[in-house]
Amino acid sequence: MESNASPELLPGTLFLLILRTLSRGPLHGYAIVKRIKEASREGLQVEDGSLYPALNRMLVKGWLAAEWGVSENNRKARFYRLTPEGRKQLDKEAGEFDRLVRAIQLVMRTA
Amino acid sequence: MAFGKEIGNRLGYLIRRSRFDREFEEEMSFHLQARAEELEQSGMASGEALRQARREFGSTLRSGEETRSAWQLSWLEDFASDLRYAARALRRNPALALAAIGSLALGIGANTTMFSVAKEALFSEPSCRDPQSLAQISTRGNHWVTVAQYRFLADAHVLDGIAGMNHELPVNWRYGNRSFYLAGTHVSDNFFQVVGIPVAMGRPIERGETDAAVVTYGFWRSRLNGDPNVLGRKLVLDDKPYRIVGVLPRDHRMLVGSGLTPDLYLTKEPRGFMLYARMPQGMTRQAAYARLRPICREMDRVYPEENRKWAREVQLSGVGGMDRLREFGGPMAMPALAFFAMLVMVTAIVVLIACANISSLLLARALTRSRELAIRMSLGGSRGRLVRQLLTESLWLALLGTGAGLFINLWLTRLLSGFHIPTPLPIELIVQPDRALLAYSAAIALVVTLATGLVPALKGTRAGIGAALKEDGRQAGPAGSRLRNALVVVQLAVSIVLLSAGLLFVRNLISATSFNAGFDTAHTIVAAVHGESDREKFVDTALARLRALPGIEAASPAIALPLNPFLAFNRPNEQLRPDAGSRAVRVEYNPNSVGPDYFRIMAIPILQGRAFLDSDRAGAPEVVILNQNMARRLFGSTNPVGHILRFPDNHDARVVGVARNSTYATLGEKDAMALYGPFAQLAAHGGACLFVRTNGPPEAMARKVDQTIAELDAKASVQTKVMREVFGFALLPSRAGAAVLGSMALFGLMLASIGLYGVLLYSTQRRIHEIGIRVALGATPGDVLAMVAGQSCRLVAIGMGIGLALALVAVRPLSMFLVPEVRPTDPLNFVAVAGVLALVAGLATIAPTARALRVDPAVALRHE
Repeated sequence: MESNASPELLPGTLFLLILRTLSRGPLHGYAIVKRIKEASREGLQVEDGSLYPALNRMLVKGWLAAEWGVSENNRKARFYRLTPEGRKQLDKEAGEFDRLVRAIQLVMRTA
Repeated sequence: MAFGKEIGNRLGYLIRRSRFDREFEEEMSFHLQARAEELEQSGMASGEALRQARREFGSTLRSGEETRSAWQLSWLEDFASDLRYAARALRRNPALALAAIGSLALGIGANTTMFSVAKEALFSEPSCRDPQSLAQISTRGNHWVTVAQYRFLADAHVLDGIAGMNHELPVNWRYGNRSFYLAGTHVSDNFFQVVGIPVAMGRPIERGETDAAVVTYGFWRSRLNGDPNVLGRKLVLDDKPYRIVGVLPRDHRMLVGSGLTPDLYLTKEPRGFMLYARMPQGMTRQAAYARLRPICREMDRVYPEENRKWAREVQLSGVGGMDRLREFGGPMAMPALAFFAMLVMVTAIVVLIACANISSLLLARALTRSRELAIRMSLGGSRGRLVRQLLTESLWLALLGTGAGLFINLWLTRLLSGFHIPTPLPIELIVQPDRALLAYSAAIALVVTLATGLVPALKGTRAGIGAALKEDGRQAGPAGSRLRNALVVVQLAVSIVLLSAGLLFVRNLISATSFNAGFDTAHTIVAAVHGESDREKFVDTALARLRALPGIEAASPAIALPLNPFLAFNRPNEQLRPDAGSRAVRVEYNPNSVGPDYFRIMAIPILQGRAFLDSDRAGAPEVVILNQNMARRLFGSTNPVGHILRFPDNHDARVVGVARNSTYATLGEKDAMALYGPFAQLAAHGGACLFVRTNGPPEAMARKVDQTIAELDAKASVQTKVMREVFGFALLPSRAGAAVLGSMALFGLMLASIGLYGVLLYSTQRRIHEIGIRVALGATPGDVLAMVAGQSCRLVAIGMGIGLALALVAVRPLSMFLVPEVRPTDPLNFVAVAGVLALVAGLATIAPTARALRVDPAVALRHE
């Protein structure tokens, strides 16, 4: 377990990951963590403790909206979904992120 | 846009804080449960699974704190810490803080008081239901209709009721064996219903009542001793019994505004009414006009009047604010408005001078702190943040100054509200703090914050980091000292303008007090009589009894009380024909009917011809006496005595004398014309003034005169005053102007000289090093003196030049408030003002110069 501990998230990428995860539909907090973990094939582990501050920052900015609903096993849970602003932000950040990653890869290969 | 939304979200959080905490807890527990369930499914024991989930999550407390902080407003917290920091900075320098707050408080107190008084006097809303739908009906500035006309309009029922009111009529109140003169407002029986005036006790006058009266709070308190069982009490008013049905609240404001407060409202039909109409809910003025027009056409047919066409000229005007001012003020409105505007402006200027002072003090502080600021900037403090912090200090000063100013305002307005303004009309202003005042004060506080803080904050934080760290305080800011000099120049200039205006008003007061009214005021008593049963008999007996009193030199009746500004509204404006010829001259003159001794009592000399004689009685040939102005206007340079004057109604009168010009309605009037007729030839008309000349001081005799006249006829009301009191009212505008402007000008001058002193002292201090070098190199005390004094002279000269140029323009419009002898552009004024200022500047220069001369080169060179 210790050896393949998930790498630290790059600063700023948490928002992007959450936005992307929610772009396929509303999810509650725990499901977001799980989805990211699964999608990265256990490569990325979002800290439970930093998830909720991030979600709330995004609520403040108006990228997300939250509603109370019922979870898959019939419990009251808070669901987050993307707002139109959030979708715009996702497009913007995803584009920037792609460029950044490509640039880093170029450096890593050639330099 | 997005930012605004974010702020909105955060503000929403402030309101829903407790719900947020609850929800966060619920969400956490859901998260932990979900994780624990998953762990259980993978085979962990249930208790262990929950513990594991908790471990993975970490501290919920910290997570909650961080989550909450996402919502909090960091700038609000920064602001709070700025406030604390600034408060500490001010406490460290209490002298500066107190001086700044004190000068702001005085200026703002004076300014807001002017604002409150002006607002109350000119724009107050009357006490009535829904003032928006109430309108006054008039025809092109003419408000008066006869009772018959009022009936005609009211009975047509075109709008939601038309009521009549006449506030200009005195009422005699018979109480015991005397009568008292009351300011009564006569109203139609539907007046209270139509206008909707709230009463504090009892009920309003109701339709159909003919003997009901509603008394004002002041009358109830002072004349009826605040009797709680006053309702139903009988008052004998003008010989008729009335029943008190209600008492008005203390803050009752009459429809006509200007603080006019009658003693009571009563149902009575006077000769004339002013009309007020209640418009139906939601009806526009346009629609109301359309409804009125047919009945107005009828009115023109039934009551034809030569100078009035109702159908064409009918007007509906509002009963509050600017509308009423335009409608009523007429000749008084513009000067009153201008007077208040001037006072508000003058006091605002004083506030600005105070701001300039504080600004230059704060600037000096910011510059001495430039090293500290530079270090903070180099450590990563943003300039905006530092500017905000420096501005917070000004905000404190502004808030405290405005707060203290509001206290002064409350105190002054309370003082003014209790003050019965000595006018012939019952005027009482109820000045109370209101929302407008708060908004105005908030605006002032904002202006003060920016005016005192912006320049020091921007200048103080501009110096480059490196430069400020390298240099020491001495050379920190040539730009800063230039700015301070500019501030002082502005202060000097503005206080010259203030001082010029103030001096004018003080001179006006002096010359108005010693002003020759054209008649004697030192030995005269005047008693105004109303409601006597038989005037001729009354006046004859009164004169006989008065003349029999010891210490009385002469007594005479007259109709007009001089220096009563309301006379100006009733001046005839007629075509008179000298020598009954074809040449007609239009003159507006002050009429009076006087007894034979009047000219002797008032010490108005007859320059040509004679005074009236006892033989100029009713039935004898009509005679008149003109004043010099009127004689010249009608007859040119020829001696008018013996000539005939024909009046528009074709009766003739012979001119028997010319009296010296004097003042009639106001002290400030120019080239006023006057025409006197014999009192005995006056057509029947109630009321008279009795003028009495005493040998000694009139004050001692006033009571005796009052008693003598009052006991003649229990029906007649008598108001006895010494002439000096009457004169005092005429001086009221001069007094008020001189008091306010004089004190404000002195205060402004004081502030400006403190500013000048500060700047000179400061700049001398900064140059101590330089002075030391100069002295060491052989400069004489004379050289140093020339250097320091030269700087002050330059500042004063520039400030004075600008100020005098401004003052020359600014004081010109003041002439309308001044007696003719005081000319606003009198060079003497400016010489005096410049002299005073030069003196003050000299005094402010002496201390810094002395300090400069005492400098010991050895000490100065070490001075750091």
